[in-house]
Amino acid sequence: MTAEQILFLLTGALILGSALMVVATRKLLHAALWLVAALFGVAILYAILQASFLAVVQVVVYIGAIAILFIFAVMLTRREMRDQGQQTRTNWWIAALLGLLILAGLVFLILAVPGADRLPAALPEGLDTVRALGNALVSPEAYVLPFEVASVLLLAALVGAVYIASVGKKD
Amino acid sequence: MLLEYAAIAAFIFVTILVGFIAIILGMLFGPKKSTDVKAMPYESGMNPIGPGTRRMPVRFYLIAVLFILFDIETVFLLPWAIVFRKLGVFGLVEMAVFIAILLVGYIYAWKKGALEWD
Amino acid sequence: MTQSDLITILPLLALVVWACALLLVDLFIPKGRKGWTALLAAAGLALTMGLTLAQAGREASGFGGMLRLDGFSTFLNVLFLGSGLLGVAVAYGYLKRMDLERGEFYSLLLFSITGMMLMAQAADLIVIFLALELLSIPLYVLAAFARPRADSEEAGLKYFLLGAFSTGFVVYGITLVFGATGTTSLAKIVEVLAAGSLGTGSLLLTIGAALILVGFSFKVAAVPFHMWTPDVYQGAPTPVTAFMSVGAKAAGFAALMRIFVMAFPSLSADLTPVLWALAALTMFIGNIIAISQTNIKRMLAYSSIAHAGYILMALVAYGNPAVAADSVASALFYLVAYAVTSFGAWSVVMSLEKPDAKGLEINDFAGLGRRNPLLAAAMTIFMLSFTGMPPTLGLVGKFFLFRTAIEGGFIGLAIIGVLTSLISAYYYLRVVVTMYMREGEPQAEGEYWLTFTTVVTALATVVLQFLPAALFALAAGAVLK
Repeated sequence: MTAEQILFLLTGALILGSALMVVATRKLLHAALWLVAALFGVAILYAILQASFLAVVQVVVYIGAIAILFIFAVMLTRREMRDQGQQTRTNWWIAALLGLLILAGLVFLILAVPGADRLPAALPEGLDTVRALGNALVSPEAYVLPFEVASVLLLAALVGAVYIASVGKKD
Repeated sequence: MLLEYAAIAAFIFVTILVGFIAIILGMLFGPKKSTDVKAMPYESGMNPIGPGTRRMPVRFYLIAVLFILFDIETVFLLPWAIVFRKLGVFGLVEMAVFIAILLVGYIYAWKKGALEWD
Repeated sequence: MTQSDLITILPLLALVVWACALLLVDLFIPKGRKGWTALLAAAGLALTMGLTLAQAGREASGFGGMLRLDGFSTFLNVLFLGSGLLGVAVAYGYLKRMDLERGEFYSLLLFSITGMMLMAQAADLIVIFLALELLSIPLYVLAAFARPRADSEEAGLKYFLLGAFSTGFVVYGITLVFGATGTTSLAKIVEVLAAGSLGTGSLLLTIGAALILVGFSFKVAAVPFHMWTPDVYQGAPTPVTAFMSVGAKAAGFAALMRIFVMAFPSLSADLTPVLWALAALTMFIGNIIAISQTNIKRMLAYSSIAHAGYILMALVAYGNPAVAADSVASALFYLVAYAVTSFGAWSVVMSLEKPDAKGLEINDFAGLGRRNPLLAAAMTIFMLSFTGMPPTLGLVGKFFLFRTAIEGGFIGLAIIGVLTSLISAYYYLRVVVTMYMREGEPQAEGEYWLTFTTVVTALATVVLQFLPAALFALAAGAVLK
């Protein structure tokens, strides 16, 4: 096993363990913090895949902004910061069974893909992924349309958020 | 190539270590006498009224949402800025359009009082 | 940017610029005079409609093949813009009456229509995903537009959560398709599939396509992904419901047709049974549950589910090259018939709606035939059209759908369609019976633009059936190549 594979396994354990804690913990705030751990694990995965920029974006946007939003949202709710009731429903085992089935299906699916058992080839030496991304974002033959549409999408989301959150304040 | 991240990993490791050391040292050497006064949020201040956790104003949420949107704008700006010189006028116009559209949202949020705190 | 890029994106660009300008201009329009905002929004839609029509018959492709301008997109864009115009017309008086008059409504509506138009033109899975988000996010907010009324908030939240969930399915499907083919461009996916070098990756592709189907089935409200529909349609302000039932559904079908007919005909052996089951279940369950509804908004919601099933019926045969053209054409034709009828029916509902969601029971329609013969006659036409009875466009639309199903060899499905149409006659005609046979004193709103919409859609439902050939020729010209 190479160092990368060991790191990958450790990261995978971190992500899965944290994700499990997100749903298993009774305190909402702790769930949000476990989510941060899981999101950080994903950032490590990006780093292993040599997508350093995406790794940073993952930390900045998901941990720096979205997790904070989660925590705000938890604090916005009434005092019920912890779950008092039963955490499982009576037919939880059906859900578990379905989950296992889907897992088995996914494993089968991934193994069926040619090359799934090999390490991905390393990126060519000297390729600057951020530069390539910058070029692709504004090239008309590549992603300029999604790039501009993304800004319209952000605008629509902003208008929606302001409307939903500030009704009754000003006109 | 992963060695490039060694410094970050070391940094995270040391931070966690320092945190643990501080807690463990406190556990080992600190006196363990608990009194009611000690358990209060402000040992020498007012007596607390009501529960410690309160609902926060919805404004925080709005600010957080606005922050995410402009955070994402920054994410797009960075790769563009790195290749900016090579892209020339065309790249500049495209980013100007991108920012102009978000500026519309900014003006809207401003005029609607989403940035005010009253 | 080349000229071809510009031509392809021109109507979209016009609408986006207009929507942004409207957002800013509205800030300076004082409260109580939002009629100006409505007027400006309608002007923007009309302008875009003009640009779209001016481009009719033109074919172009832009942005490295990500965006297409063809008969299909023009046809659907006219439908979206038309429903946007009708949406503004019915919303103006309604918002005023219900004390909801806010300029954001119109900006969000324009953004949503931008997303729908992008959906009709998209030829790349990434653009399709962005279009889906752009059309959905304003709709989530619009569904909750009557907040802090609890049912509207519930509608917005429910639509948002399930909508986000369904978008997740679409994205997962897109990643699997990308994993199998190495591209998100529909044209290149076709090339990869034609080269036939996929091997075991084809399983990945099939599952990806199936997940995309699941995601869009949420959007078009097909059973078993319909759970949100009644609550959202009931809780959302009625003009939003009307717009959503027409626009969002048509956009969902636009994406399904574009993706499946253009990129995945080779997967039809696996997907046709799935589509068959979806269509049959949707027609059956939508119509059966609609029978027991007493609230007109919920009844129309289940009717909207059922009609998604009829349109899906046309798509079942999409993989058969001899029928594929007819399948798209009849689905488009029916979308128009459904749009006109549905908008009309919702406008009648709005005429009778009172503040705080009163006046929405079917019993509240009692006596309308005597009290307001014009409105009752219009409602009768819409109910007949929904059922598929003469003299309405619904009949012609259903005829084309059934014909496509039979041409494709799905006689069983066509029989289910006919049987469920018979079942649906029960609850549609119950409204007519209530209006004419029972005593009551309903107070109908006589607001100008609302009446205008009712009359126009009623006339269209009746008149368009006399020229089905012309409309069908338009739809047939819109077929994907």
